[in-house]
Amino acid sequence: MEYEFPECNSFGTVIRFGLELERAATNIYDELSRDSKLVAGADTFRALSVVHKKRGDLLEYTRREKLNEMILEPIQDLDAKKYIIDTKAPKGVDIKAAARYAAGVEERSSMFYADSAKIAKNLLSEGARILERMAKENLANKAKLEAL
Amino acid sequence: MAVLSEVKKDYGKVRNFVNGEWVDSATKSWLDVKNPATTETIAKVPLSTKEEMTKAIEAAQEAWWAWRETPPVSRARVMFNLKAIMEREFENIARIISQEQGKTIDDARGETRRCIENVEVASGITTLQMGYNLEDGAAANIDEEVIISPLGVFGAVCPFNFPGMVPFWFWPYAVATGNTFILKPSEQVPLTSQYVFKLIEEAGFPPGVINLVNGREDAVNAMFDHKDLKGISFVGSTPVAKWIYKRGGETGKRVQAQGGAKNSLVVMPDAKLDNTVNNTLSSFYGCAGQRCLAGSNLVGVGDIADPLIRKFVEASKRIKVGYGLDESSNMGPVISEAAKKKVLGYIDQGVKDGAKLLLDGRNIKVPGYEKGYFIGTTVFDDVTPDMKIAKEEIFGPVVSFLRMKSLDDAIEFIHKCPFGNAASIYTQNGRWARDFRYKVQCGNIGVNIGIVAAMAYFPFAGYKDSFFGTLHGQGKDAVSFYTDRKVVITRWF
Repeated sequence: MEYEFPECNSFGTVIRFGLELERAATNIYDELSRDSKLVAGADTFRALSVVHKKRGDLLEYTRREKLNEMILEPIQDLDAKKYIIDTKAPKGVDIKAAARYAAGVEERSSMFYADSAKIAKNLLSEGARILERMAKENLANKAKLEAL
Repeated sequence: MAVLSEVKKDYGKVRNFVNGEWVDSATKSWLDVKNPATTETIAKVPLSTKEEMTKAIEAAQEAWWAWRETPPVSRARVMFNLKAIMEREFENIARIISQEQGKTIDDARGETRRCIENVEVASGITTLQMGYNLEDGAAANIDEEVIISPLGVFGAVCPFNFPGMVPFWFWPYAVATGNTFILKPSEQVPLTSQYVFKLIEEAGFPPGVINLVNGREDAVNAMFDHKDLKGISFVGSTPVAKWIYKRGGETGKRVQAQGGAKNSLVVMPDAKLDNTVNNTLSSFYGCAGQRCLAGSNLVGVGDIADPLIRKFVEASKRIKVGYGLDESSNMGPVISEAAKKKVLGYIDQGVKDGAKLLLDGRNIKVPGYEKGYFIGTTVFDDVTPDMKIAKEEIFGPVVSFLRMKSLDDAIEFIHKCPFGNAASIYTQNGRWARDFRYKVQCGNIGVNIGIVAAMAYFPFAGYKDSFFGTLHGQGKDAVSFYTDRKVVITRWF
């Protein structure tokens, strides 16, 4: 699976970055849920895959509903490279290692959404609220993974 | 970042849609439709003949009475169908807009949303078109009422800068109120309408209710010359808007004609600098400056001028110019070689007139798109009110920076301009904002907003040489434009 994380120089590219994060997370959890060595976490991984698919749909909705020519302001202070996640799910590891890896993905995603929300606040308050909520949700997902 | 895929590379011959049928034009005159970023020909558009436009008007007239008798709630249902279909096709519409017009995909998505919003508003026609009455309104036992009635066939002549949105300022209201319609899109960007009309066909409008005729002067003249066409909506340059208005007067048509603009963004000493600069950037450079709401003059009042221009130039340098379908582009090309030449001519003129060129976008090269009609962000300092670049519509990503001593000076400068489309003020001072809103003779006023784009349920306004007519596009104004008030006084013996 190939992912393209763009530079984040507009609200649209922030959403595109988020869409890539969510697509990657969905696939990562799908893979983990199918790994026969990780049966103990399969239900959690499956559920998180669904969660991330829905988050992708929410971002798509946000892009379609909230972007208009009044808020096409360029963003110039978000270094996208900091938020790129490792999209290769580990193979042959135990449940603790898999959960640790996935928790890392959630943490980095949370950082991305939290930082984007701060920048988006001035541009698009509705968008910022959605990003803030997603950042919190990432941390809740991380907690679930750490309990495995 | 990879470039998003195009819906098609080559759209072939553009067709007309008349009386519910797709028809090839019989004209011998065809133009190339070019992707302005690649300059590749992506379609051929016919310059339909006068006879073809006449046929379309006749089909629309034929369809009118049955459509007028269709209850408003049923007309609204077809609009609801269209809304659902357009949501399904949202991304394709946006990509075609970007491909043929050049604007960034986010800008095109915003435009697509605006199209749909107009369909949504027109779907509320059952309340929008409701008349009013007064029992015993004329005298005892004599009631009086007003019925809001459609008039027949209307048409629109649309510009290149918003191939999706501008037609939707008009036709949904005309059709929802019970009229029939002919759309003539810009010959430079006919593909969005070509695609959208397939969706209109799918939505279930009866044959003849909405028709598409591609072309140029011949088609427009045929509209004016036909007795059954009741009115024309137009958006384009001021000279053509004036001509349209005059022709409408001569031929007894209703006309709403939106012309050009020269919009000033006034920054007061107390403005929040970072937010202001960011917001003005999208006003000056969105759609490569080819919006009638685009900022063109940046006016710094008092002490803020120096820090403002410094920050503005720095931020302008970071605007990424590229193909609109590359999601990381902040700005695309202008529409054509001719448009590029015209804008470059204004930059040369500015230099000749003594303005200081702080940022020169004339020689920009966009890797992979070397032939494209790109112009980089361009900023002039030391512009004076008498210079051409401060007075005339440039329609490109060129910013003229002027320094003024007071808000009154800025307002006086705005009032000397023959256009009156939009103006914005950036301030934290309510009194200044109120004075600006009250005094400035422009149709669209922004307070800490650089693009004063009215939503579908508000009119897209404009004063002076920016608008000819009385009723604007969108919302209640559009409903009034496409209908008339019929007064009925009733007594029963």
